[in-house]
Amino acid sequence: MSIIKDVQSGKKPLKRAYVAIFLWFTGRAIQAAAKVDSEVKKEFEKLPEDFTFSLGCLPCGPWMVVGREKGVVKYLGGDSRGRPVQVRLAIKSLDAGFLILSFQESTALATARNRLITDGEIPQALAIIRILDIVEVYLLPKLIASLAVKRYPSWWSFGRKLGGRIGVYTRTLLGI
Amino acid sequence: MLLPDYYEFCCRVKIVAGHDALEKIPDLLIERGAKKPLVITDKGVAGAGLIDIVSRALGDRVQADLIADDVPPDSDLRVVNRLARLYRDNACDAIIAVGGGSVMDTAKGINIVVSENAEDLMAFSGVGALKRPLKPLVAVPTTAGTGSEVTQVAVIKDHEKHLKMAFGSYFLLPDISILDSRMTLTMPPFITAMTGMDAMSHAVEAYYCLQKNPLSDAHALSAVGMIYRHLPLVVKNPDDREGRLAMAVAACLAGIAFSNSMVGLVHNLGHATGSVCGVPHGLCMAILLPYGLEYNLHKMADVMAELLLPMAGEQVYLATPAEQRAQKVVSLIRGLNEDLHAITGGRHARCLQEIKDREGKPSVPRDVLPQIAAAALLDGASIYNPEDTDYEDNLMVLEAAWEGKPLDRSRVKKG
Amino acid sequence: MNSAAVFDFTCPVKTNSGNKALEHLPVELAGLNAVNPLIVANARAVGPKAVRTLMNAFGDSKMTLGLFEGVTEAADLGVVDHLKNICLEKKYDAFIALGGGKAADVAKVLNLAVSLKTPDARQLSPKTPVRKRLLPLVVVPTAGADGLETSGFAHLNRMIFSSEFLAPGLAVLDSRLARARKGILMAATGLAALGRAVESHVSADRNPFQKAYSFAAVRFVRENLPAAVADPGNKKAALAVLNAAAMSGCAFSNAASGRLHKLGQVFYELLGIPQGVIMGMCLSRVLEDGFREGSCDPAALLQPLAGDDAFARTPAGKRAEAALALLNRFLEELRGALGKDLPKSLSEAGVSGYRKEEILDVLGKDEDGHYLRGVVEGMAGGKRERKG
Repeated sequence: MSIIKDVQSGKKPLKRAYVAIFLWFTGRAIQAAAKVDSEVKKEFEKLPEDFTFSLGCLPCGPWMVVGREKGVVKYLGGDSRGRPVQVRLAIKSLDAGFLILSFQESTALATARNRLITDGEIPQALAIIRILDIVEVYLLPKLIASLAVKRYPSWWSFGRKLGGRIGVYTRTLLGI
Repeated sequence: MLLPDYYEFCCRVKIVAGHDALEKIPDLLIERGAKKPLVITDKGVAGAGLIDIVSRALGDRVQADLIADDVPPDSDLRVVNRLARLYRDNACDAIIAVGGGSVMDTAKGINIVVSENAEDLMAFSGVGALKRPLKPLVAVPTTAGTGSEVTQVAVIKDHEKHLKMAFGSYFLLPDISILDSRMTLTMPPFITAMTGMDAMSHAVEAYYCLQKNPLSDAHALSAVGMIYRHLPLVVKNPDDREGRLAMAVAACLAGIAFSNSMVGLVHNLGHATGSVCGVPHGLCMAILLPYGLEYNLHKMADVMAELLLPMAGEQVYLATPAEQRAQKVVSLIRGLNEDLHAITGGRHARCLQEIKDREGKPSVPRDVLPQIAAAALLDGASIYNPEDTDYEDNLMVLEAAWEGKPLDRSRVKKG
Repeated sequence: MNSAAVFDFTCPVKTNSGNKALEHLPVELAGLNAVNPLIVANARAVGPKAVRTLMNAFGDSKMTLGLFEGVTEAADLGVVDHLKNICLEKKYDAFIALGGGKAADVAKVLNLAVSLKTPDARQLSPKTPVRKRLLPLVVVPTAGADGLETSGFAHLNRMIFSSEFLAPGLAVLDSRLARARKGILMAATGLAALGRAVESHVSADRNPFQKAYSFAAVRFVRENLPAAVADPGNKKAALAVLNAAAMSGCAFSNAASGRLHKLGQVFYELLGIPQGVIMGMCLSRVLEDGFREGSCDPAALLQPLAGDDAFARTPAGKRAEAALALLNRFLEELRGALGKDLPKSLSEAGVSGYRKEEILDVLGKDEDGHYLRGVVEGMAGGKRERKG
C-alpha cells in the first residue's frame, strides 16, 4: 500500500443549495428592479442591447445569469447557455459565497477583502455593482442593507423606498 | 495594527536598490538562464542619456545591444506586437524595460505575447488568464512615482478598436526591479515634484482605502515618511543622490502598498481628469490628494491620523490633539503642495485652474468639470474608496479642487 | 537605510490570511496551473481535525488530493526520496505543507527533488544548484509554527538548504488552524516570531522593505501574544500571532542568520525544544550585548513595541534603553502568565549537563562560537546545573 492516499474532495450540498436559491432570488429581483426602479432602468439602458452578466462561485458554481433580450432585462437561469457573458463577477469559493449571501459579509467588504474577481470591461462591471447595491437596498431591511452597501441612501424618498420594495418583491416572487 | 477578517498580500518582485544597482543586472539575468535581453524604452529616456548608463552597466557579460527606444507615451497594441516580433526575430530571452508607466505596460504586454506564444494578446486580458511564469522581466523605473515596477496590472490600448484592455495577474509582476539613483538624477524639478506626489498619493490612499492590511500599511507608513522628508529637498537640490535613491525606494514601497490595498477617489478623479484634459497624472494626484482625504475623513479619521507621526515627526504629533490629527495631515499635504509650488517657480500647480498647457492656456477649463465627473463613474478605483461616490459627489470635489478651496465637509453625503 | 552599498530584497510568498482562507485554495491552485496537489502533513503534530479542515476546504471543487500524513520529527532525505518516486509516478503538480516544522521542511526539499527530477534525493545537499522556479508550494502553518515556513530555508539531515526558490509561493493562514491547545504552544510560536523579527529589525544592514515585515511582526506579537497565551481559544489573537510568524520568516529570509536564530535552531535540532522557548530565554541578553558592542540598534524597536504615543514621548537618546526595558517587561509578563510552562533556564527546560555539552560542541564550530557558548552558559541557571 502506498504511503500516499488519494482522496476525492467532498461535497457541500447544503451550502450549495442555499447559495443557489439566493442567486436565483437575486437574479429575479434584478429583473424586477429593472422594471420598477428608474435608476436601475437607466443603468441597464446604457449597456449594450444583448448585454449579459453572471454572478457566482468558483470553481464549480452555482451561477446566476442576467441579460438583456431585445432590450428587456431577464433572469436567464443558472448557466449562460452558450451566450457570451460580458461581465463575470466570480466569488473565490462557495464558502465565501455563503458568507456574502447569508449577509455575514457585505458585498463591499467582500470586495475589500479580495474575495471577488471581476472580469470584463470595467465601466460595465461598475454599472452592475451599482445595480446590485440598489437591489440590495430594496430587498433587505435597513439594518442589514446598511451593512451590505457602502452608503445607505437615506436621502431616498419614503415613497421610492416603499413603492420600490413592494414592486420588487411582488415581481420577484411572481417572476414577472 | 489592525488585522482584517481576511486579506491577501503579494509582492514577489526582487528589489535591488543602490547607487550602482544597474551593475547587478547581468548576474541576475545569468542566474535566470537569460543572456540576450531586449531593452525597451522611450525617446525621452534615451535622449536623456539614461540608456547609455544602462548599457555601460550591462557590460559585455550579456548581449544587450538590441535596444528599442521608440515606445510612445501612449503605447498600444500595435507597438506591443511590433516589439514582440523584434524579440522573436532576434531570439531574445528576457526583457529590460527602462522608463515610466507606458514602457512598463508595453513590456508586460510583450512578455505575454512572447511567453505564451500568443497571436492575440486580447485572449489574455482580464484577471487570472495567465497561469504560469513569463520570461524574465527586469524593470528599471526612471521616475520615482508610478510604482509600476511592482504592480501586477498592465493597461494596453487598441487605438484601432478604441478599446482599453486591462491585464491582471501576479505573473505580470516584474521578476526584478532595479532602483538606481542615476536613473532619476537628471529629472527636472517640476517633473520630480509631480511624480513624487504621485507616489505620495499611492502611499496615502493605500493607507485609507478598503483593501488595507498590515503589510500594505507597513509599506505605506514608511513610504509616507520618506517622501514627505525627501521630496522638497530633492526638488530644491536635484543632484542630491541620497535623496534621489530614497525617493526611488519610497515610490517603490508606495507601489507595493497600493497594488495590495488599492486606491480610491483621488485616483478615480485623477484618471478621469487625465483622460478628459490630457494633463499629467502626477499633477492631478498632487492636487486631488487633500480632497480624497477630506471626502473620506468622516469614515477614516483614526486611520488618517496615524499618518501624522511619520510625516511631521514627534513634536508636531504630540502637539496635535488626537482628534485633530487627521485634519493636520490634510493641511500638511496642502503645505507640501505650496512648498513645491514655490520651489518650482509656480510650475507645480496647486489647483486644477492653475494647470496650464505649453502655450500657457488653462488645461482644465471650469466647464469640463461635469464631463470629468461623469467619466469618473467609469473608473474602477471607486470600488475601493471608503465612502461611496456618485456624479454629484465627484462634481462637488472637482469644483473645490478647481478653485483650490478646502472641501466643505458638511456637504459630503453620509449614509 | 544603508545606502552605501547595493541591497536587495525578495519575498516570493503571497499571504492569504483570515476567515475561510483555506477555501480559496482550489482557485489559488488553478491560478498556478495546478490541479493535482499533494498534502504533506505531520498528522500527529497537527491533529486529525486540522487535516479534516484542510480536506473539507476542497469540498465541491471536484479535485483529487494526495495525502501523506506521515511526516515525523525523524523524517530525512530517505523519506523524501521515497515520496519523490511516488510523486513522479502519480504526477502531483503542487505541494501543500500542513503545519510548521518538519512538514514544511520535507515539502520544500520534496518540491526540489520532484521539480529537478533528482534521480536519488538522498544525494541532495545545500550545494545542489537551484536556478529555476520549482513547482507551486503552499504552506499552511498551524499553531506551533516557527516562522521558518515562509522562509527560503529547509532543515533536513542536519543540513540547511537555502534558496529563494525554496520559499513557498503562498502561505495560507486560517483562523480555524491558528488556535493552540495550550498557551505555551502559542508562546513558542510568538517568541520565535519575535526573536527573528527583532533580530532582522535591529540589524545594521536592514533595508526599508525588510523593515516593513519586521515592523508589522513585532507590533503584532506585542499587541496579540499576551491575549493569545491567556486564552488559546482567542481566534483573532491567535491568527495575529500566526501572521507575525509568517512575516518574521519573510524578513528573516532577507537578513543574515543572527545569533538568536542560531541558538534557537541548535536546541531545536538536537533536543527538540521549540525555538521560541530558547529565543525567549536569551532575547534580552543578546540584544543588550549587541547594543553594547554597537552591532545592533534596539532604538528601532521602540515604535513597534511601545506604540506611536509612547514612542513619540521618548527622547531619541533614550529609545534604545526604553525598548530594552519594555521588551524585558513584556517577557516577564509572559513568564508570569505561563508560570512553569515556560522555562526560564536550561535546567528548567530539562536540559542535562551532558546535553548542554553537546550543544556547546556544535556551537563551538560557529564563527561566532565563543559568544554563543557564553550565552548558553548564562542560560544554564537552576540547581540541577550545579548537580550535573
